[in-house]
Amino acid sequence: MKKVPIYGLMAEFDSPADLVKAAHRTYEEGYRKIDAYSPFPIEELAEAIGFHRSGVPLVVLVGGILGCVGGYMMQYWIHVINYPINVGGRPFNSWPSFVVVTFETTILFAGLAAVFGMLALNGLPMPYHPVFNVPRFAFATKDRFFLIIFSSDVKYDRAATRRFLESLEPRSISEVPS
Amino acid sequence: MSPARVNIDLLAPPVAHTIQRRSLYIGLVFAVLSVIGIFISPPEQFLHSYLLGYMAWLGLTLGCMAILMLQYLTGGKWGLVIRRILEAAMQTLPLMMVLFVPLAVGVHHLYDWARPEKVAADKHLREITRDFLNPTGFGLRSIIYLVIWGGLIYLLSRWSAQQDDPPVRDFSPRYKRLSAPGLILYVFAISFGAIDWVMSLDARWISTIYPLIFVAGQVLAAFCFVVVVEAILSRYSPMAQLLKPDELKDHGNMMLTFIMLWAYFSFSQLLIIWAGNLPEEIRWYVRRWVGGWQYLGLGLAAFHFAVPFVLLLSRERKRQVHRLVRVAILIIIMRFVDLFWFIEPSNHTRLLVHWLDLVIPVAMGGFWLAYFFYNLKARPLLPVYDPQTASLLEPAHE
Amino acid sequence: MDDPTQATRGSRTAPVIEPGYTFATITDKISSIVLTRPVSNGWLVGFGVGFLITMMLLYAMGYLFLRGVGIWGVNIPVGWGFAIVNFVWWIGIGHAGTLISAILLLLRQQWRNSINRFAEAMTLFAVACAGMFPVLHLGRPWLAYWLFPYPNSMNYWPQFRSPLVWDVFAVSTYFTISLVFWFIGLIPDLATLRDRAENKWAAIIYGILAMGWRGSARHWKRYETAYLLLAGLATPLVLSVHTVVSFDFAIAILPGWHTTIFPPYFVAGAIYSGFAMVLMLAIPIRKFYGLEDFITQRHLENSAKVMLATGLIVAYGYAMEAFMNWYGGNPYDNYLLWNRLHGPYAPIYCALLFCNIVFPQVLWFRKWRTNPGLLFLVSFVVLVGMWLERFIIVVVSLHRDFQTSSWGMYYPTKWDWMTYIGTLGFFMAAFFLFIRILPMISIFEMRTLLPEAKEVKAE
Repeated sequence: MKKVPIYGLMAEFDSPADLVKAAHRTYEEGYRKIDAYSPFPIEELAEAIGFHRSGVPLVVLVGGILGCVGGYMMQYWIHVINYPINVGGRPFNSWPSFVVVTFETTILFAGLAAVFGMLALNGLPMPYHPVFNVPRFAFATKDRFFLIIFSSDVKYDRAATRRFLESLEPRSISEVPS
Repeated sequence: MSPARVNIDLLAPPVAHTIQRRSLYIGLVFAVLSVIGIFISPPEQFLHSYLLGYMAWLGLTLGCMAILMLQYLTGGKWGLVIRRILEAAMQTLPLMMVLFVPLAVGVHHLYDWARPEKVAADKHLREITRDFLNPTGFGLRSIIYLVIWGGLIYLLSRWSAQQDDPPVRDFSPRYKRLSAPGLILYVFAISFGAIDWVMSLDARWISTIYPLIFVAGQVLAAFCFVVVVEAILSRYSPMAQLLKPDELKDHGNMMLTFIMLWAYFSFSQLLIIWAGNLPEEIRWYVRRWVGGWQYLGLGLAAFHFAVPFVLLLSRERKRQVHRLVRVAILIIIMRFVDLFWFIEPSNHTRLLVHWLDLVIPVAMGGFWLAYFFYNLKARPLLPVYDPQTASLLEPAHE
Repeated sequence: MDDPTQATRGSRTAPVIEPGYTFATITDKISSIVLTRPVSNGWLVGFGVGFLITMMLLYAMGYLFLRGVGIWGVNIPVGWGFAIVNFVWWIGIGHAGTLISAILLLLRQQWRNSINRFAEAMTLFAVACAGMFPVLHLGRPWLAYWLFPYPNSMNYWPQFRSPLVWDVFAVSTYFTISLVFWFIGLIPDLATLRDRAENKWAAIIYGILAMGWRGSARHWKRYETAYLLLAGLATPLVLSVHTVVSFDFAIAILPGWHTTIFPPYFVAGAIYSGFAMVLMLAIPIRKFYGLEDFITQRHLENSAKVMLATGLIVAYGYAMEAFMNWYGGNPYDNYLLWNRLHGPYAPIYCALLFCNIVFPQVLWFRKWRTNPGLLFLVSFVVLVGMWLERFIIVVVSLHRDFQTSSWGMYYPTKWDWMTYIGTLGFFMAAFFLFIRILPMISIFEMRTLLPEAKEVKAE
């Protein structure tokens, strides 16, 4: 354990309110490479650690536009260019009919973009991560709230950072081996 | 904050009086022009323009009533701040009752089924006029619709008036009990109203979704109207303090919802009729797809759906009243165009905007708005003695 | 922000979660059903019955593959029989799941949090059941992939003017999006199970499925955004699916099919039957698994209100259709109305009116709306009624159309019934498996309902 480099320092809190407060303090203190873990989404937490833009909406927009244009172009190409066929005197480019499938492909592409975009931006799946080395971290999916300051932060100092975390009055502090 | 002080603070700002007076003048001037129109224009044109104006302003009256009942049923904080606006709008119904008279009188100039020479030539018209579409039935049914709405509005207004005076009383169970059957009655009455008044312009054409397009359109127009009134009032006290961005966002979302609903109903009707291509159905669209009318149809697709849809996706736009109101005005104009596209092609095969198509609706609107602002300024802008109000007032005066 | 543990507006409205729970007790209570609770005899019997009926389905399908659709009662003029009736019925049931998970999320209706998970599972299984029928009905089901546009040596393409092809896209998109929506919702709970499981293999399997979820604030932020956007996409999607199903009928020019109100009226009917199925599942489950604190009176009552409202829209659809048939004066439309009321299938039409329109009106009264036994009965009646409605739409419209010489009757065979009942068994078996191996209530969303979770906002 002694030889293993340190990935970060982790503090454990009892309530979401404590965690958000602590995250705010940490950010104000000048730490930037930090993260917080909670068993359910807390809107204010991402703000507190200075994370504002999720990037997901843009991915979804691109997916939706691709699905919309691609869906219509596919039908247009099939029925106007590749294999035009007269059905009951309707025009080759039967746009009212094509709206339906265009709509469905738009939703399909946008929806899949939302899911896979979110997973990719989050770097999931990721079977191994150093924070799992902390035994207490199993409670991050139950009823405990964690704050971590990564050792890669420029302000990180093993002793000083630990003192700072202690000033936040956490339930416990652990070193995370990487 | 004591209710007594609130009462004074919460009255509509003087601008309401100014608009009321100006609307009345505009109404009077345009009414004179309309009367001139009776003598110099064909009666068919006069009545088509009249029906257009009538459906547009009746839509606001009824749409506001529907939103009020919808809000009573579903709860939600978005309704409290606009409740008085909705009430003032729905209480214009007496005006709409009076304005119905010319339609009843002029029925022979408006509808084919009321012209004996046309009826004699057509077997279906003979049957339907015998059983349903005859001037007597038309008049009686119209009275029934107006009385149904009048009864609902009377009850809703009477209880609401009691909440202007102490003590604090919770009427929400009572409102709920009325609103559930009230909404059903509203939908059924306007459905048959839409059939009688507008769909029967072409007595051989049927579409079962058609009345729902009117329902969606009326509620949509009413939401937009509410946003416009909010935009005017929010420049002054008390609305400046009362109107919260979150509630405004809810109103914007409602606009978005009803735009989509309108588009959904309209497109479904188009697709089913277009694909079926039956001669007795498709002619409604054929008539609206030649002679310039098609540009209005495309305009509707673009500006009644696509453009406001994209604009309303923006969260920030829905939170700022001066930005949201532009979308609202656009939609109100397009609601008018939509009704124009529904009504006027039965009178002209080529696109034609007659001067009466603008003058009569403006005349009616002048009176309607004057009446609306008269109602609005008569009472505080919040139901002060409703228990929900406390929650709205507190943060504003912290 | 309302405190959901407090009854809103007086004591008459039940809360969405009973007071006294903490983050830990919620987690333990829901995850224990999956992780520690022993397999009960009731579960074994339920799953066993479902499994056996599924075997019957496989038998019926196997025989169909050997002999072809001739074993069913379909023939000309009624070529659409049970297969399409069941398809529409099942896919309609699926709609409530997406409605609860997506639309109620957008409307910020927090009562959805305890029923969305199993409602979504219900959607998936119902859509799976629905999807089987058109494929089996193809005649050569092994060529079902011809329905998709792909470059092939026959230089053949699907006909995109046909609503049947729209259906392929609508249903497969719906299934895909419902699946990913459901799975995305499961990820944080799978991580909870991973960390709670004592069985090593369970921990490994849940761990793989959780994909290394660790609840980071950045992840939650993207997750919430994606989840909301998916809900925003799923909402029009779910409306489009039954709309497209209604186009299958309305695009044709057959009396009884070709009417413009079909789209909204089908959607309302779908939600109607879907909520009935939600109640039929929720009422026994909350009882047997002791979840009355999470699935409260409030959930039952709200679902009943949704049923009442959508049932009224369906009634509006019937009324408008009947009126327009009469008003339009088309003799074929008039005859359809007469045939429904007086023809050979008239008892079914009357039963449909009773089941869908008359009986559910008991839900107007709070006393009855809050009685789980009665709600269960109403839900059952509505499910029967909605099945009858699709039977009327499919069979009665087809069996007597324009030409009297082409009239005929439709009689389902035992294979029709075996296939239909078989899918009910499949649905049941799948659902029993689901409640054993996955958390049937969303744990992380339940945590957000606790007052402690809201303290952050208060500050």
